[in-house]
Amino acid sequence: MVEADDEGKSVNDGSDQGREKWRLLVDLLKRQRRGLAIGVFVGLLWTSGKVAVPQLTRMAIDRGIENGGSVVGWALLIALAGVVTGVFTASRRYFAFRESRLTETRLRERLFEHILSLHIGYHDRSQTGQLMSRSSSDLNQVQMFVVMIPLTLSNLALIGTVIVILFLTDPLLAVVALVPLPFVNWTARRFSQTIHPAVLAVQAEQAQLATVVEESVAGVRVVKGFGAEEVQAAKLRTEADDIQRVSLDAARVRARFLPAMELLPTLGIIAVLGVGGYRVIDGEITLGALVAFNFYVALLVWPLRTIGMTIAFAQRAAAALERVHEVLGTVPEILDPPDPGALPGGASVGAVTFRDVRFGYEPDEPVLHGFDVHIEPGTSVALVGATGSGKSTVARLLLRFYDVQEGSVSLDGVDVRDLAVSDVRGAVGVVFEDTLLFHDTVSANIAFAHPDASPDVVRRAAELAGAHDFITELPDGYDTLLGERGFSLSGGQRQRIAIARAIVADPRVLVLDDATSAVDPSKEHEIRSAMETVMRGRTTLVIAHRAGTIAIADTVVLLDQGRVVAQGTHHELLATEERYREVLAAMALAPAQEPGAPTTPGPAADRSSASAGER
Amino acid sequence: MRLGHAVTDDERLDRSEAVHVLRRAGRIARPFRRPALAAVGFIGMSISATLLGPVIVRHGIDSGITAGNRRELNLAIVAYLVVTVIAYVGSRQQYVYVNRAGEGFLRALRIRLFGHIQRQPVAFHDRNKAGVLVSRMTSDIESMSELVQWGLLQFVQATLLISLSLGVLLVLSWQLTLVALLVLPIIVVASIKFQRASNAAYLDVRERVGQNLSTLQEGISGVRVIQAYGREPEQRRRFRTSSRALYDSHLHSVKVSTWYFGLVEFCGVLATALAIGAGGWLVARGDVTVGTVVAVVLLLASLFEPVQQLSQLYNTLQSATASLHKLFGILDTEPEIDERPGAVDLPADGSLEVDAVTFTYVGGARPALENVSITVAPGERLALVGATGAGKSTLAKLMARLYDPDQGAVRYGGVDLRDATFASLRRRIVVVPQEGFLFGGTVADNLRVARPGATDADVRRALTDIGALDHFDSFPDGLDTEVRERGSRLSAGERQLVSLARAALVDPDVLVLDEATSNLDPGTEAEVERALERLMEGRTVIVVAHRLSTVRRADRVAVVDLVDGSGRIVELGDHDQLVALGGRYAMLEDAWRRTQSTSTGV
Repeated sequence: MVEADDEGKSVNDGSDQGREKWRLLVDLLKRQRRGLAIGVFVGLLWTSGKVAVPQLTRMAIDRGIENGGSVVGWALLIALAGVVTGVFTASRRYFAFRESRLTETRLRERLFEHILSLHIGYHDRSQTGQLMSRSSSDLNQVQMFVVMIPLTLSNLALIGTVIVILFLTDPLLAVVALVPLPFVNWTARRFSQTIHPAVLAVQAEQAQLATVVEESVAGVRVVKGFGAEEVQAAKLRTEADDIQRVSLDAARVRARFLPAMELLPTLGIIAVLGVGGYRVIDGEITLGALVAFNFYVALLVWPLRTIGMTIAFAQRAAAALERVHEVLGTVPEILDPPDPGALPGGASVGAVTFRDVRFGYEPDEPVLHGFDVHIEPGTSVALVGATGSGKSTVARLLLRFYDVQEGSVSLDGVDVRDLAVSDVRGAVGVVFEDTLLFHDTVSANIAFAHPDASPDVVRRAAELAGAHDFITELPDGYDTLLGERGFSLSGGQRQRIAIARAIVADPRVLVLDDATSAVDPSKEHEIRSAMETVMRGRTTLVIAHRAGTIAIADTVVLLDQGRVVAQGTHHELLATEERYREVLAAMALAPAQEPGAPTTPGPAADRSSASAGER
Repeated sequence: MRLGHAVTDDERLDRSEAVHVLRRAGRIARPFRRPALAAVGFIGMSISATLLGPVIVRHGIDSGITAGNRRELNLAIVAYLVVTVIAYVGSRQQYVYVNRAGEGFLRALRIRLFGHIQRQPVAFHDRNKAGVLVSRMTSDIESMSELVQWGLLQFVQATLLISLSLGVLLVLSWQLTLVALLVLPIIVVASIKFQRASNAAYLDVRERVGQNLSTLQEGISGVRVIQAYGREPEQRRRFRTSSRALYDSHLHSVKVSTWYFGLVEFCGVLATALAIGAGGWLVARGDVTVGTVVAVVLLLASLFEPVQQLSQLYNTLQSATASLHKLFGILDTEPEIDERPGAVDLPADGSLEVDAVTFTYVGGARPALENVSITVAPGERLALVGATGAGKSTLAKLMARLYDPDQGAVRYGGVDLRDATFASLRRRIVVVPQEGFLFGGTVADNLRVARPGATDADVRRALTDIGALDHFDSFPDGLDTEVRERGSRLSAGERQLVSLARAALVDPDVLVLDEATSNLDPGTEAEVERALERLMEGRTVIVVAHRLSTVRRADRVAVVDLVDGSGRIVELGDHDQLVALGGRYAMLEDAWRRTQSTSTGV
């Protein structure tokens, strides 16, 4: 979890936390002060319209109806007040929502940009789903609060004005009318606080039911194979019962509060009618004033309710902001040095040196220690080792996804920590084990590293990667949309796109994290030949998960327990190293992965198996 | 703002479909008619009481205040208090009963739909994407729960409120009512327009939210590639574009609702103005009293809100009927594999006989298997080999009646599997799938999937039978260890052990195995191998084999291959015979041996 794993580094200590998170919001709101000010201003105009109507009604009754005068003028004034109220009801809503959506949008963009800038170590520890919910549901909570800010200000103005008018008209009646109203506010706040956990409980039960449905559908062959339909049906009944139970709990909460919120103002109106009625009979106030009182009491109900809600929203927004701030407060660990050096140019570049590297994802559980490898420019090395031996970690250090704890990693003689991060990553191209394609065209995916690459360059890269032929057969050729919502390619096709992507990047050093593991065995050789094309004349580090991939590298480095135990050609090692033969045998136990079977998840999973291997 | 629901044109049902769907939902809701009727009763009670309020106020003003009669005023106040309490009680109960009926209905729908999905054969699950089925059971039903929680209540409330308050208004003063209702056409027209515009706006928001979320997700899950290629600036731009599009869409939907709410507010005040304008004139003529004017003005307030609610409910109702329509679509699918009336138990033992079977997947152009016959003797071990897609897994599934053949028959001990009871079928023939698929719950729960009533002793015996008891006993919580979702706490090998132990718990005569191809670490691999070997002892075994070692241990090998695009058994015999034959199997075996030699260096 994001929260749990980043103690210390990511967040400032507790006391500052409270202020920090609000400052985050206040800074954003300051940028929008014009919009917010307009929102408050139109809100005040709305208030004036709202307050005028009962006053005008009162005058119409007292001066018109009761005294037999003309009411047409008063009716016209009321209609005019109606126009004011209508226009400003609309504009007050518009500005409130506009500003709150803007805050939400800006905060989301900032969050996304920050997430992108965070070091991979952070991403390996956090789950996509959690970062997603920071950027969606948490920001929604913030938005719901921000929208209430200008609305609440005009509501407060309305309440204040009405209270003043009531006291000016008749202090005694004002007290009678207002007594039940604070309870409206209190009830609304209690309601919001009580219903929130009830709603969350319903959602939690719905999620549990979804889990049962998902596993039953995904595991239908097991269910059918054992005739276990009744077992799953019983589980589902339990979950359906739970949903019903917590939903009824929530309904009971509503039953407890909502009618009470209707009841309280009516009690106010009845009190006004009673006490006010006597005062009209006694000639203390007019009938019109009594009617106006009634209207005013009714007018206060909604603002009081929403203020109650605003308080509850603020509490939720505070919790959400705290979670958002935890992400934004995490400082990226992999940064450019203050005075970055430059990579030497020349004809023969691409030398890679790992010198006495020690590294562990947990500081005291080293994955690599005493790791030494030198790769001459233009040559290729296959890293071979059992699962958890640290193969993939080597690639991550070279890309500077992580920094070494001891020793150094250098490119053409320069320590990667002395280079600008963008220079390192420009110099090292990588084809990952699990290929991620973006929701974009085929050419955009290939030209990922250089978005302005010409179509010729893209096409040539695709040809070299052996991808051109199948691309031209796609519905829109190079313009076919890929990704989750686009055309879905086979594992092998995706790999070839990834290889083409690396070709366009034209890096000094290429890292191939065994691109064949997700591929139908019959297609393996095609990928392999594409890989060989890319590697020609380029320094290449091959992370081999399969026996067949080893053959394409010039030399082999055998990794065991975090260090290099042997180095040589495939045949040399085969002849001399018992451990090498064992590792190869273990790899070969899986001759074929079913096409379409889920590929191994990324580094997070690899890491857990790595540490498991260490124990 | 509760724009809440929206339907696309594709989803929207025409009138007769909608009526049909609602009528059918009514039948499912039948058991809940008591709470539903009670709810309607309570709603009626609270609304009638609420509407009496202004009438009482009129009485208080006219007979009490204006006449200076304190007794009448007191009477009015007491009456008002009484109806308020009645309204409160009614409105409290209405929430409880509406939800009792509604949630009961949803529960019944969930259980019924799930039961139906479970009764469907494997072929149905091949045709329907898992995600779609899950969303039928979750989001489609949940989209109805808002209708149940709010919609039904509001619908009944709004309808009753409009009709009752119109009635009361007309009784109070038909002249005033007619004048005030001049604004009603404006509200009705605006509501219809708003309903359409908000539907479109909400659909757009929903679409953009989806796009924005997937751009977000792409950025987060693709962060390694993005950083590796230093593409952060492009990704920021991409995200900003999608984020601004979402913002614009939000703004549009706010505009749509904003003018509507403003207009409704204006109409409310305008109606007041009209009532007062006309009221003054009527009072002067002596046609109505002051109290009547006040009562009309108060009642008008409760007339416009329900109209507004109904226009929004229309979207909710449409999206709920669209969801119901989809659900009924599933309920209408008759299970193709069902137990026949008069089904018999399979005999205790016998040979498994595939007799001239032809089978085509739904939507398949050619039969997956054509005219395949093979008999497996009791205790025999048969390996099915062949290329991916040749039909070996299909054949295995037919032998366990996960599918029914289109032609021919599969018999066990002479009984056609289609004539067998499900109970005896699952008792005699057990399929062990390729990957150990685990459900949430404990290790023991996962074994009991195979035999719900099994005692702890049975469960332990099953694990002992395959030699895996010690392995699971060594867990801190032993067999009560929670395996978490999909068994994520266990290793792949442990999941397979559980899967094998399930089969051991059933203790079947015939075992149909789909051999795992995934990577296990060598230690567990050996343990799984041993467990498998012990499980197979003394049983008839059909194994879809991916490994040479497995094939070599089989008594006979059947090579399944495509002939004219359909699967057939092209070679049948023991390992040595087939190698000697020099055909398809010999080639396969050669390829197998070579991959293994590059890796072992032999």
